[in-house]
Amino acid sequence: MEVSNSYSPYSSSSVDSTKPSPSESSVNLSLSLTFPSTSPQREARQDWPPIKPLLRGKLKGRRLVQRGDDTSFFVKVYMEGVPIGRKLDLCAFSGYESLLENLSHMFDTSIICGNRDRKHYVLTYQDKDGDWMMVGDIPWDMFLETVRRLKITRPERC
Amino acid sequence: MNYFPDEVIEHIFDSIASHRDRNSISLVCKSWHKIERCSRKKVFIGNCYAIDPERLIGRFPCLKSLTLKGKPHFADFNLVPHEWGGFVHPWIDALARARVGLEELRLKRMVVSDESLELLSRSFANFKSLVLVSCEGFTTDGLASIAANCRHLRELDLQENEIDDHRGQWLNCFPDSCITLTSLNFACLKGETNLAALERLVARSPNLKSLKVNRAVPLDALTRLMSCAPQLVDLGVGSYENEPDPESFAKLSAAINKCTSLRCLSGFSEVAPRCLPAFYPICQNLISLNLSYAAEIQGNHLIKFIQFCKRLQRLWILDSIGDKGLEVVASACKELQELRVFPSDLHGEEDNDAAVTEVGLVAISAGCRKLHSILYFCKQMTNAALITVAKNCPNFIRFRLCILEPNKPDHITSQSLDEGFGAIVQACKGLRRLSVSGLLTDKVFLYIGMYAEQLEMLSIAFAGDTDQGMLYVLNGCKKLRKLEIRDSPFGNAALLADVEKYETMRSLWMSSCDVTLGGCKRLARDAPWLNVEIINENESNGMEQNEEDEREKVDRLYLYRTVVGTRKDAPSCVTIL
Repeated sequence: MEVSNSYSPYSSSSVDSTKPSPSESSVNLSLSLTFPSTSPQREARQDWPPIKPLLRGKLKGRRLVQRGDDTSFFVKVYMEGVPIGRKLDLCAFSGYESLLENLSHMFDTSIICGNRDRKHYVLTYQDKDGDWMMVGDIPWDMFLETVRRLKITRPERC
Repeated sequence: MNYFPDEVIEHIFDSIASHRDRNSISLVCKSWHKIERCSRKKVFIGNCYAIDPERLIGRFPCLKSLTLKGKPHFADFNLVPHEWGGFVHPWIDALARARVGLEELRLKRMVVSDESLELLSRSFANFKSLVLVSCEGFTTDGLASIAANCRHLRELDLQENEIDDHRGQWLNCFPDSCITLTSLNFACLKGETNLAALERLVARSPNLKSLKVNRAVPLDALTRLMSCAPQLVDLGVGSYENEPDPESFAKLSAAINKCTSLRCLSGFSEVAPRCLPAFYPICQNLISLNLSYAAEIQGNHLIKFIQFCKRLQRLWILDSIGDKGLEVVASACKELQELRVFPSDLHGEEDNDAAVTEVGLVAISAGCRKLHSILYFCKQMTNAALITVAKNCPNFIRFRLCILEPNKPDHITSQSLDEGFGAIVQACKGLRRLSVSGLLTDKVFLYIGMYAEQLEMLSIAFAGDTDQGMLYVLNGCKKLRKLEIRDSPFGNAALLADVEKYETMRSLWMSSCDVTLGGCKRLARDAPWLNVEIINENESNGMEQNEEDEREKVDRLYLYRTVVGTRKDAPSCVTIL
């Protein structure tokens, strides 16, 4: 019998779930434990398993970097002055170079990061603290952990 | 008791360090109480709201070292709002005003502000040691005050705190005259570090025994640091991004080889997989190894390293080591006393071969006969395995098992794990701390109540069937001090059965259980010496809405004994009944 690898966080409070007694456990198990294992809800669990925040953050960041077939991390990308944004899967890139190349192609303009060149658009990102930062200063892995969205800004703004 | 002058008795008491023993001594007679309280140097307060600073200072005017704990344990798992409480400022303020000769302050799960740190640094001329564990609320500016003003600072130990890193120059704030450092741990800082200032500091600290740097300290800097501190006993490695070129590797190896006193190794949180070989030369000296943040190092590299650590007593590792790796540990680390295996994958992939199972646990129990403390996150367990573990290791003091999937039964028999945990509590007569998981009925609590006579702390999650389960524990475990329960069907009947029991305990936590507002109110009425706190989901005062409905289930309940009544600093999301 396959035990589903998921659980209901609400099994004991408002839902009147009769806990299976040991003799019934082999029958009722999967029924009382069903929980749609869609990724947003799985991701949202901040209090289980019981590990400290530092380790939790570390493992979450690591997950983004692992290159599995189903791993993806979509962020919104806006170009200053253009109201409609795009969405980009950062896991598809190996580093800043491929990211810039792709963005430049997507928005049909030359985009750079790091240098305050008055001529080119500059790529910035919003980190998990909500601050807007220049792309390219930190290692790619660290960037993936902290980036929330991207903005292609006009040069003067930086 | 008048045979000896007070000074002699005091001298005898000086040799007694344990605060529990000293508490017992103070109960013998009035004279001993007086002598003890005037001579006590170290005070431990397990719940900062059980007592207030004025009474502390009144009783122990000569205290030099204070340990304070704030938030309940489940705050570590995001179950307690940040603003709940546990502020250290009133304590520092009171100690400063009373001119207590404070030398050491150890805080756990407390809220510390930069102002508090500033006040601390300016108020106690002989201040020597600051240890902050899982605290929050301060920035590197606060650290700068400590560095600048504490002339005799020996220890600054920051463990897993949430510190706002202003990327300032706090390391530069240690004056040149500061040469007394023995321990410096800033591994949890997220920002950049002034490497030059750090190197100068280490170079002028000949007594430095423990150094744990953060991830902003790269390999070449580490090499220089180790070169000027070959006396190090405890090292926390920073980052190690790329595989070092042969020359850097050679320099690092040379530096490591000189550190013949190195016994404890940790850190490695931003590392390239192949960084461990540089540390091979000191493997056989290590007694403590913490690789629980080294998520990038694969199992086989871990195994290659650990097999040479024959003297290891403490090992903290990720489950990427696998059952195979634990079998290697079992055969190599015969001195192992404490093992913690943390999950490396939060999303519970079914086909994750690398995670650990009951096989690894049994292997460890068979090979490491000195094991007394274990924290084990695994994806599956069986009763048979637990029974074997109990037979192999009857000396467990701490046994914490966390099966990643709640309510998971014995994966071979599909039974509950009652019998397995029952075997553990029956065999391990000295068990003081226990965490249970997996599919569990009331029966496991019957066993715990019956056999776990020394149990002081019990953590329960997703377990039990009825109130009877909790009652077994409350009635049976005479030495119980902390009970924390989440997502289990225990309600008012269990909560209210023996109100006086809570006077013998430090605290009780219940979240997502079946206790109602009415039950909690009744408890608060019957036991005025308890603080009964209801923590609500949202900011708005849940009491208003639920005034009528005492049958409403309480989301989070935290109660604790106290001699100073209701605290005044509770935020709006907390209602104290």
